Amino acid sequence: MMESRVRIAVIRFPGVNCEDETKRAVESQGMDCDILMWNGPRERLAEYDGYILPGGFTYQDRVRAGAIAAKDRIVDCLFEEAQAGKPVIGICNGAQILIESGMVPGMTPGKVEMGLARNIMPDRDGYYTRWTHLRVESDASCVTWAMSSLDVTSIPTAHAEGRFVTIDEGLIDRLFENGQVVMTYSGAKGEAEPAFPYNPNGSTRGIAAVSNSSGNVVAMMPHPERAAWLSQVPESLSGHWGAERRGAAGSRRILAEPGPGGEVFTSLRTFIVERLRGRGGEA
Amino acid sequence: MDAVVPSFVSIVRVLGIGDGELLHTLVQAGLSFTPDEARRVAGLLGRDPTVVEANIFNTMWSEHCSYKSSRKVLGEHLPTEGAGVVLGPGEDAGIVRLATVNGKSYCIAIAHESHNHPSQVVPNEGAATGIGGIVRDVYCMGADVVGVLDPLRFGDPTGKNAERTREIVHGVVEGIWQYSNALGVPNLGGDVYFDSSFDENCLVNVVALGLVVEEEVIRSRIPLEATDSDYDVILVGKPTDPSGFGGATFASRVIDEERALDDKYAVQVPDPFLKRMLTVATRDVFKLARDSGAVIGFKDLGAGGIACATSELGAAAGLGVRIDLSKVIVAETNLKPEVIACSETQERYCFVVPKGLSPLVLRIYNEVFELPEICHGSGASVIGEVIQEARFILEHEGAVVCDASTEAITAGICYMRESRPRESVEREYVLPDGLDVRAVLLDVLGAVNVASREHIYRHYDCEVRGCTVVRPGEADAGVIAPIPSAGVGVAVACDGNPFYGAVDSYQAGAVAVAESVRNVAAVGAHPIALTDCLNFGNPEVPEVFHDFVEAVRGIGDAARGIGLKDSGEPIPVVSGNVSFYNQSSGGSAVLPSPIVCCVGRLVDVSRHLTTGFKRGGDSVYLLGRRGTKLGASAFLRTVAGDLKAPVPEVDFDDERRMMVAVTDIAESGLAASCHDVSDGGVAVALAEMVLLSPEDDPIGARISVRRLCGSAPGGSGHDLELMFSEAGGYLLEVAPGEEDRLLNILEDRGVWYSRIGTTEAGVGLWFTGTADGDFALTAEELARPWTDGATGAMR
Repeated sequence: MMESRVRIAVIRFPGVNCEDETKRAVESQGMDCDILMWNGPRERLAEYDGYILPGGFTYQDRVRAGAIAAKDRIVDCLFEEAQAGKPVIGICNGAQILIESGMVPGMTPGKVEMGLARNIMPDRDGYYTRWTHLRVESDASCVTWAMSSLDVTSIPTAHAEGRFVTIDEGLIDRLFENGQVVMTYSGAKGEAEPAFPYNPNGSTRGIAAVSNSSGNVVAMMPHPERAAWLSQVPESLSGHWGAERRGAAGSRRILAEPGPGGEVFTSLRTFIVERLRGRGGEA
Repeated sequence: MDAVVPSFVSIVRVLGIGDGELLHTLVQAGLSFTPDEARRVAGLLGRDPTVVEANIFNTMWSEHCSYKSSRKVLGEHLPTEGAGVVLGPGEDAGIVRLATVNGKSYCIAIAHESHNHPSQVVPNEGAATGIGGIVRDVYCMGADVVGVLDPLRFGDPTGKNAERTREIVHGVVEGIWQYSNALGVPNLGGDVYFDSSFDENCLVNVVALGLVVEEEVIRSRIPLEATDSDYDVILVGKPTDPSGFGGATFASRVIDEERALDDKYAVQVPDPFLKRMLTVATRDVFKLARDSGAVIGFKDLGAGGIACATSELGAAAGLGVRIDLSKVIVAETNLKPEVIACSETQERYCFVVPKGLSPLVLRIYNEVFELPEICHGSGASVIGEVIQEARFILEHEGAVVCDASTEAITAGICYMRESRPRESVEREYVLPDGLDVRAVLLDVLGAVNVASREHIYRHYDCEVRGCTVVRPGEADAGVIAPIPSAGVGVAVACDGNPFYGAVDSYQAGAVAVAESVRNVAAVGAHPIALTDCLNFGNPEVPEVFHDFVEAVRGIGDAARGIGLKDSGEPIPVVSGNVSFYNQSSGGSAVLPSPIVCCVGRLVDVSRHLTTGFKRGGDSVYLLGRRGTKLGASAFLRTVAGDLKAPVPEVDFDDERRMMVAVTDIAESGLAASCHDVSDGGVAVALAEMVLLSPEDDPIGARISVRRLCGSAPGGSGHDLELMFSEAGGYLLEVAPGEEDRLLNILEDRGVWYSRIGTTEAGVGLWFTGTADGDFALTAEELARPWTDGATGAMR
């Protein structure tokens, strides 16, 4: 039987600015995608198989990045959809919203257990833009479903507040044990817990992406939509993807092939098809 | 006959009083007119102006708005037309054709401005509103902004003003990232120079680049359809407040420290969040207009606020407007009408739309995007209407406070300033004996004006929008593929070496063009348009004005001399800006600083080139003969300070031949990397090719210094001249198998070239055959000064 195409909604909160390229990246991996207004009719949400909160500066980062949007009613609706197992991915500012809403890591419902704090970097402050290498710590999440644990991928980061922190003692260990740490910053070959600039923001134990316990809600700081095609990868980048990129120089065809971020969107699609739809047709 | 002004409207008394009393009146009224200018206003009106009128003329006749000192010179020297030009200078941005994809003619809209004075006084807000203003200039053409660039000039980071300079550097960079990152426009490049002449006048230039389909361009004028149907004037954005009142006149005089506190209020307050909301909502308005077949006019509010924008919309169509200032949404009560009319509150646009469409436009901003709730008090409102008579009428609380012909307001005034050459300051430089070339190279690499700018550009989001192909720091120009479904690329770079300006303003203009063209060609793109921002001191000083004229002449000659690749027509200068009065109250002007931005087209973006060496075993070629003039070079400044020796002259024919050949080579896929020769000469360019090679597979090179003077044996030249000459040129990395095809192109195009060495993995940089023998530098030795040399100044 023909599977119906996967449908993804990208949520446009006031101040997001990555919605268009996120939509393109989703579509490039064989899914349909619509951009939905934060204040639009909420019943439409149920029509979609998964949701992405894209990057940007919702509500001007008032109070803290993501803090205002996290209180929006649409987040409650997303929480309900997530309870049914549907994936919700927060990228960069979207990650900040998911953390501020308590949906991630979501150990205690309704509780904000982590924060995305200001970057700590030697001899500089504020915003920092850099391609990072990432080690897959868990392949059970909706952003790593098509990858394998300990795979190394490369995706750019760009933020001023991306340092995963918590005051809950033992939480970080539990997140690792539960497989809720989805990705960590690494060296080009997957070396763990590297120093700046490989860990671009001083994040605790190099954490770059965290999920809820079911793996369907993920807060990730790196921007996979900026690495969706090989043409987006820098030529001088180290590691596997840099070499792939240099090898493709001059070839329009190869440069149009999926880049490292493409695997994140492939994961989203296969997660929906295999885990949600494959499970007794409940989706 | 002009309307009689009601007696309760304040007027400025101009007629029938002497110079002394008039000057006093003008100063009291906060106007910067000369008495003669005030009388010309009264003459145009046939009566004393109202306070509102006086303020409007005061703004419109400021140097900033009227180009009263520069207009004639620009018109005389700069080529602005060409087959690809859709819109030349005159509106908010110039527009040039890029490519036709699926039957649609895609164009690049580009604008280039300065925000120098505000950034000196309030660095963060000044720079942020610089970005905010320049992107509005591009958005208002109906374009989507796809990139920004920021050429910056700061004071001496170790000089007497060091502390303030560091504050300004930090504030400006922070203002740029806070605004453009939040707005969601990628930063594609720029450049940074430090010199004590900028101690009291930093330069913050900004360039914005937009993509627009030709038939969807929106003009900054009332549509001609308004002659037989009713049109409304709609103001949208931030509620009007007094911020930036007097901004245009502030930018048109020397900064006076005594007035620094007052000047702060002349700087606007940035709000990138609201701008993002406006940008997304405005796309829906454009779509609404297209779908309903309505022709609309659209303009951003910048200098001169509502008065300037609405009068220019009218004048461009030969029509008039009647605006009720009482209908403007304001942030505070009791604003005087002249403040509402002329304040430069940020994040505002003005629409002219058919009356029937107005409610739908208001709905998009006020209801769909909930602007009044989300961004406190902002929104859209109808503030007036188009009238058939070409008059500019402002009402406030029932009284007419301005009634003048639109033509009179917008025509501006023109001055021919006195021009006098400076006394020649050039001195010959004699190369000293016994310089340690190796040590000099490391010193030059670590010089504050040569070393890596990474500390700054990593603050900037360069990849938002997802179209970026080459980021700052990877090549000589930024490259984007702005049309997702197509393979066409856009390359963009800006340049302007102030030290050339210190010696020879004509060459500074010419080299700014040549260097920006080289930067674009070095990534494989051929130029399609230029913009310029001309930063000078007080134009009333004859030597300063002469520098200005010479720079413009240099830009014009270079644009014609190098020309477009295919047709040889002049590269059109489609947009630009003049910033005068970059002069301290103590009297010293900034170094003459013509800054040029070049936009290029890559037919196939996958054929772009980057700077870093790619692999061992390739040949390294130099294009472009080395010269003997070292004036203004990074080398000379490192070893001899500010000595003003003659600078290299740009050879337009050579530059053209090299641009044509290099872009041929890139399009044919013959080169693995390419870098232009500029600050620091071949030696620094080679070091950068090593330093930007793959992070985990560093590639070095072995270079024969004798070969820098040509492949023929017996070539002569001093080692230091060969290595550090900043005569225009390119370095290419070419695989051995491609060399025959490469040489065919170089010979065909008549380019001077020499094979100067080979790449080799992991060896750093070797120079052989200097007068003192061979020497080597490891990649680590090169990296240290280059990475750290300028970081202290940028932190």
